[in-house]
Amino acid sequence: MNKSVNKVVGGTALCFGLFCQSLLAAVAEYQVQLKDHLFFPSQITIPANQKVKLVIHNQDDTPEEFDSFSLNRDKVIFANNKATIFIGPLQPGEYDFFGEYNPNTARGTVIVEHQKQKAADAN
Amino acid sequence: MKTFFRISGALLYCLFSISISWADGIQVDKVYHPYVLANERELEWRLTSRQNDDGNVLAQRFAYGHAVSEYWTIEGYIVGERDDTGDFGLQAYEIEVRWMLTDQGELWADWGMLFELEKQHKEDTFEFTSGLLFEKEFTRTSLTINALLVYEWGTNIQNEFETEFRLKYRYRYLPALQPSIEIYTGEDFIGIGPGFMGIHRYEGQKQLKWELAFIAGLNGDSKDHTLRFALEYEF
Repeated sequence: MNKSVNKVVGGTALCFGLFCQSLLAAVAEYQVQLKDHLFFPSQITIPANQKVKLVIHNQDDTPEEFDSFSLNRDKVIFANNKATIFIGPLQPGEYDFFGEYNPNTARGTVIVEHQKQKAADAN
Repeated sequence: MKTFFRISGALLYCLFSISISWADGIQVDKVYHPYVLANERELEWRLTSRQNDDGNVLAQRFAYGHAVSEYWTIEGYIVGERDDTGDFGLQAYEIEVRWMLTDQGELWADWGMLFELEKQHKEDTFEFTSGLLFEKEFTRTSLTINALLVYEWGTNIQNEFETEFRLKYRYRYLPALQPSIEIYTGEDFIGIGPGFMGIHRYEGQKQLKWELAFIAGLNGDSKDHTLRFALEYEF
């Protein structure tokens, strides 16, 4: 019984630690505008293996629903409001997203790339 | 910091509930995700059929749900069951509230809470369920866990606490087909089996979700199988 309790307490402490760590970690922000049912920019390049935050500003007078199966995200963005969507860490590749209310126009892609090393940039 | 306090409270509550007792009976049912989608309304039908040495138990649930904010949703259920004489009839009513504690992807894992109150039809028997909902993404797979504390009371039953544990490990292969493994535990019951779910989208927020699972009991009965099926129309 004591062993079981210890396991539960240990597991909970581990979860709590990971939770605190994730709260403290800085997350890069990417601003996206939604206007006339179009995403600007429609291609967003982010670094691989890092969590990032998409802040989507809906400038339309109607709500939109951000949807992406590959990103595993689904979120309503109210009219003339903004919504925050956390994505990643992701492997390099392309991840499509769209607006459920205007799927023919509100479309975009998150492009995940390995970050070039600073040393390489200096050269 | 608001999120910090929400999760701290939820974890402490979960720890408290796990230390109390274990559930009797079986609860092969839906494994809840910790998410709420604003503006969403849904109609739901669930069917559970359990076959063991004592015979067959068939239960169906019909529900209507409505998200009341970005983080809260309420759902009302009518539960029907086949009784000992083979007649299918109204068994219970239930109201359920889900609370999304964190935004998806905000923290290392996603957290939510569930609260359910059920009353048996024409009987003074109640059941209150509360618990923690957890989901963690691992690339194209998702691990979902429900740790639930149930309190039953009434004039015809012994008042008692129970705990339930549900787990689903899902591969997000295609929207229409997402295979999984599901595990359920309670006192005298451990069940495991394959599950499948899928989504078919219509225009706007309209979509149809389906879930199917076949759970084999590993608790020593010579025969113990449960089939569960659910359809959800979201609009």
